[in-house]
Amino acid sequence: MKKLLPILCVLMVLGGRALAQETFPFNGVEDHRERYYAFTGATVFTTYDKQVENATLLIRDGRVISVVAAGPVPAGAVEVKAEGKIIYPAFIDLYSSYGMPEPKEEGKRPEQQPQMLSNKEGAYAWNEALKPEFQAHEFFIPNEKSAAEYRKQGFAVVAAHRMDGISRGTSTLVALGDERPHEMIAKEIAAHHLSFSKGTSTQSYPNSLMGIIALLRQTYYDAQWYSTQDKEVNISLAAWNSIQDIPQVFEVGNRLEALRAARLGKEFGKTYIIKGDGDEYQRLEALKATGSAFIIPLNFPKAYDVEDPYDALQVNLEQMKHWELAPANPAKLAAAGIGIALTAEGLEDKKDFLDNLRKAVKNGLSEEAALKALTFTPARLMGAQDQLGSLEPGKWANFFIADGTIFDKDSKVLHTWIKGKAYVHESLDKGYQLGAYELRIGDKTYELTLTGEADKPKMNVQGEDTTSTKVEYNLEDALITLSFKPAEGDGKVRLSGLMEGRRWSGKGQDENGQWVEWSAVYSREAEGEEEAEKEEEEAKPELGNVIYPFTAYGWTDRPRQETFLIKNATVWTNEAEGVLEKADVLIRDGKIAQVATGLNIRGAKIIDAAGKHLTPGIIDEHTHIAVSRSVNEGSQASSAEVRIGDVVNSEDVNIYRQLSGGVTTAQILHGSANPIGGQSAIIKLRWGYAPEEMKFEGADGFIKFALGENVKQSNWGEDNTIRFPQTRMGVEQVFVDHFTRARRYGELKRSGKPYRKDLELEALLEILESKRFITCHSYRQSEINMLMKVAEQFGFRVNTFTHILEGYKVADKMAAHGAGGSSFSDWWAYKYEVMEAIPYNGALMHEQGVTVAFNSDDAEMARRLNQEAAKAVLFGGVSEEDALKFVTLNPAKLLHIDGRVGSIKVGKDADLVIWSDHPLSMYAVAENTFVDGILFFSREEDQKQREAIAAERQRLIQKMLAEKKEGGKTQKAEGKRQYEHYHCDDNEDEAK
Amino acid sequence: MKLQTILYFALFTLPGFALRAQTPMPAPPQQEPILISGGTAHIGNGRVIENSAIIVEEGKITFADAAAILPRRDFTGFRRVDATGKHIYPGLIAPATNLGLVDIGAVRATRDYNETGSINPNVRSIIAYNTDSPIIPTVRSQGILLAQVAPQGGRVPGMSSIVQLDAWNWEDAAYSADDGIFLNWPGLFSYSWRERSFSKNEDYTKEVEELKQFFAEAQAYARLPEPSRTNLRFEAMKPLFTGARRLYIEAEEAKAINHAVHFAREFGISAVIVDGRDAWMVTELLKENNVPVILRETHSLPNRIDSDVDQPFRTPAMLQEAGVLFCFSSDGYWQQRNLAFQAGQAVGYGLSNEDALSALTSNTAKILGIDGRTGTLEADKDANLVICKGDLLDVRSSKVEMALIQGREVSLDNVQKQLYQKYKAKYGE
Repeated sequence: MKKLLPILCVLMVLGGRALAQETFPFNGVEDHRERYYAFTGATVFTTYDKQVENATLLIRDGRVISVVAAGPVPAGAVEVKAEGKIIYPAFIDLYSSYGMPEPKEEGKRPEQQPQMLSNKEGAYAWNEALKPEFQAHEFFIPNEKSAAEYRKQGFAVVAAHRMDGISRGTSTLVALGDERPHEMIAKEIAAHHLSFSKGTSTQSYPNSLMGIIALLRQTYYDAQWYSTQDKEVNISLAAWNSIQDIPQVFEVGNRLEALRAARLGKEFGKTYIIKGDGDEYQRLEALKATGSAFIIPLNFPKAYDVEDPYDALQVNLEQMKHWELAPANPAKLAAAGIGIALTAEGLEDKKDFLDNLRKAVKNGLSEEAALKALTFTPARLMGAQDQLGSLEPGKWANFFIADGTIFDKDSKVLHTWIKGKAYVHESLDKGYQLGAYELRIGDKTYELTLTGEADKPKMNVQGEDTTSTKVEYNLEDALITLSFKPAEGDGKVRLSGLMEGRRWSGKGQDENGQWVEWSAVYSREAEGEEEAEKEEEEAKPELGNVIYPFTAYGWTDRPRQETFLIKNATVWTNEAEGVLEKADVLIRDGKIAQVATGLNIRGAKIIDAAGKHLTPGIIDEHTHIAVSRSVNEGSQASSAEVRIGDVVNSEDVNIYRQLSGGVTTAQILHGSANPIGGQSAIIKLRWGYAPEEMKFEGADGFIKFALGENVKQSNWGEDNTIRFPQTRMGVEQVFVDHFTRARRYGELKRSGKPYRKDLELEALLEILESKRFITCHSYRQSEINMLMKVAEQFGFRVNTFTHILEGYKVADKMAAHGAGGSSFSDWWAYKYEVMEAIPYNGALMHEQGVTVAFNSDDAEMARRLNQEAAKAVLFGGVSEEDALKFVTLNPAKLLHIDGRVGSIKVGKDADLVIWSDHPLSMYAVAENTFVDGILFFSREEDQKQREAIAAERQRLIQKMLAEKKEGGKTQKAEGKRQYEHYHCDDNEDEAK
Repeated sequence: MKLQTILYFALFTLPGFALRAQTPMPAPPQQEPILISGGTAHIGNGRVIENSAIIVEEGKITFADAAAILPRRDFTGFRRVDATGKHIYPGLIAPATNLGLVDIGAVRATRDYNETGSINPNVRSIIAYNTDSPIIPTVRSQGILLAQVAPQGGRVPGMSSIVQLDAWNWEDAAYSADDGIFLNWPGLFSYSWRERSFSKNEDYTKEVEELKQFFAEAQAYARLPEPSRTNLRFEAMKPLFTGARRLYIEAEEAKAINHAVHFAREFGISAVIVDGRDAWMVTELLKENNVPVILRETHSLPNRIDSDVDQPFRTPAMLQEAGVLFCFSSDGYWQQRNLAFQAGQAVGYGLSNEDALSALTSNTAKILGIDGRTGTLEADKDANLVICKGDLLDVRSSKVEMALIQGREVSLDNVQKQLYQKYKAKYGE
């Protein structure tokens, strides 16, 4: 297989072939043509930023010879008169499945049960969604119908690939002509295409976005390993290696996925070209920092039909704002200096491409930038700028002729020329002129007028009696037939003849059936023709602000750190000082600077908290908010390689909602679908920041484990009986087996011998080395005990048992082992294994010396964790101070971040909450929530936000109604409405 | 070893006493009259009486007012309860719940709330109500003494019944049998999990028309003096048209609520909106038509991304302010024990303490049509009451110490308390 590489390199050189296929036999006599043309009189854009007026464009053998102002027409060249026309280099679309076979499922999809391995037979990748061996040029078959659609929009070349899989193999750069594929392929191997979608793969793994990312990461390592080993042949890995030095195009579903792709690429020294979804402006700065170029669609949403005020509530602010701002996306990217190529992919109908391009220009994209994004940039991104993308000598003669500037809404593409061959949509010269003609039929004279649009004018005749009659007519090139019913007589006049510019003539039959001669001669311009051109210069539209994140409650300006002095509060320190009455706390530079009474600090913003309570921010040890595309990679018993950190979703409104409940830090955990889950992410609730900025700096790594009914798939119906384990017996063996393998892996790694880097075992090795820590979903005492024994056998400790509803039964053992317990306060009875769960669990574990936290595992309850803590007082009589620690200091300890958060102590992070009442009371409302000394939530600011949301919605609704009134197309008022949030056991396939 | 622990061991080592927890035995009918004095009585209608006196005789409250005006009479033979420093409340009522119809959510064999078929007005929840469910005592020990047990699923899930939570069997439990029929109003929008979005329910009109037809036929049937052929569904519907049975219509969105109210009015049915998350948008309509609301669990997320972040918490105060009769409800079965805390939360968002209490007691009784018998601490009402060490609505202090159902002092023990004692004993406390 190693021979593949040099062959591919040779193939990748651009072909400068002659127009006839040398190898083909032909039937009859040779018909060699040079396609030698001179286009005269037009304005020619030789490149996106240079134009030549009254140019002569000379092409021959499919290539540009020259573009010279008022240049001569050489002998042997066919002159094409193009006065008043504009010739542009033809467009290039890098994102297309043109000429590609339909993606098909491999083999038979298993019924109901999981599919553990690939259905593709042969020495290919273990995962069905990895198809790097697919090479588009081998499958390319020109498709005239599709090509014609592209050509009408000015395209001559596309990079086509089969849009199927996570690694989709290579694209091929092809021209959109109707000739043999041999001639249409401009570059066999254009780019390697990747995506976050497994496409037709029916294999269970991966079922999540983080699984997809993990699979790609592992594949990079596997490919590196493959090139150094001689144990196996793997066609997919060989192909993967052979396509690493060509452009890498990564399709993503939204702006956050773009960031994720870029971050993955960076790990392996790749800067992907990212095919975005048109929402890049929503995270412009972060995307610019990736250094990636973008292929972006012009899929601007239609206005929502918001006539019904209740139905309009289905449409959220994000949808409304995106409707308004999407057309400005290309402009904003270009203005930010990000390289963009535009694609027609993603449009419902390719016919809308030019209209949407004009919309983008109207919304601020310069014409030059637009041309660049359709010619030079795509050519450059594919390394084909020496052949394509401009009309400089030697390049492919790919261009289109328009009857005006293409950015004018009335102008049209008349011809598209590809490799020197013409594809005519409309003739350059109509063969007639709008205006009034003197029509003579035999001895009668009429006035005939030709008015309206140039390509489908209206024709009328007027006799001496001044009544105007509509004329039916038909044109076939220069042949014309026309008929009308004159005022006098019963019959119709029917004429046939030939048009020669301003003079038409022929024969026909008059209303009486008599054969007569006829002629029509141009006399003057038609009256009132100018009114069609009333079009006033439309003003640049007024657009709303981009907010961060791009959803309701997003900021226009992110809040900043300030110096705050909170005065006269009841301060719950969680330190030896206990609860201080009438105390002052100074926040400076994001830290707690002083805790005292009677403080007076110049320049500090004073918050009077008399009668109120100040506590450390709530820390939720177990949440599933702020995650994109599944919290579970549940297709295998172990998914230690997946990382929630890869899929943090900074745009989840639940972040803001939880700030309103005093939450400042949360651990986002993998779900509980398998015994060894994925790596978690600890975030601070820095609403408005990008995903990477939300992560708790320097926090230890954690990983989710799980036990019991979920991992043995007891409650997933009658299906899912294949995956090991199906019993608690098997669960233990999963752990023993994986840690045994991890230990062996560690030994090999340390030995210095070559090894295949295995990200799953790496994570498990970190556990063995106490560099990564377990949070284990657990219910029954037997399994809790089991995991502690397994850990002890392998020489580490279980950091935290989460849920741990029967922790009270083995609290003494947990304390001895050193495991903490992060529990629900009072959940039970929802499945068999929680029938002995009791709300006294927290108290009992606490009394046995276990570090106890209460967590939410629920986006709603997380807003009320202070009340959940109070249940430890109600059920089991824990002291109020200790109970508050269940949701502040104790989870901080369990997450190893108590050095920075969890108590009110000078030097710690200023993550604080001011409550209106006793923090354990149902009546308490979180009034202010600080993270890092930044006031991320306050009731006053929240009130302003609500008003701003209402005002912005109202503005956009009125704008949409206006657009509808003016005849704009609309879509039904429906959409996301609510943000979907996850629970532990949500395990749908979201990798499609 | 503490005395308590010794007693515990003694109790559980007695021969014939199963170590496995049992649901406590239902209390026998009230034998001796009771005088509860000195406590702060929250009547349930807005009135609060410090230093109160409450007399309970033969299952009824015969006096509840200030101790100062307690009639002179002979209290020999009375059981006296000193409630000084404590709070007395009407027993809480949990409406629209599947309590007793399911014991373990994930185990199909224990789920009895969803009958197959779409229109089942004739199925009766009371039949499936499991008085021996281990869940019920845990709910009762938090002061919930009555519940409206309702089926779920389909268009017309079936008939609800109101039960008291201390009974040997469903006949004992029935407080108001077959009180209403539940109806799930068609959704205007349907949710696609895959698309993660809501789209218009294109069948909405059809679904409403089907309902109309069913109700029209049921109404026509109800007018027949003697139907030639008995139709069980229509028989169940009959009392709706005379006002003897209520229609509980589950509707969430403003438009759906509007339509549902109109629908009930057309058929002359007395209706209650269940869920009503958007009820705050249509308060005028609800008031004009005298349609009350059983508000869905307010400990829930706002139902739209753009909604006010605290909308569910504020909705109760908004309904109160607008004069709409409403009460609290909880999603689920075991969760009912937290019912009072929703009311507490609403206090933090503008509802007064006593209005919050009413929405757990007297309002609920009115909405369910049992206000003649319960819902307040007033003379002639059933003696359904709770004595709490602190504020029943605030989780910090809602320690229930005594509860009477129809004058019977019910056990506050439950399987969870037993497990607590068991493991306290294990750890030698």
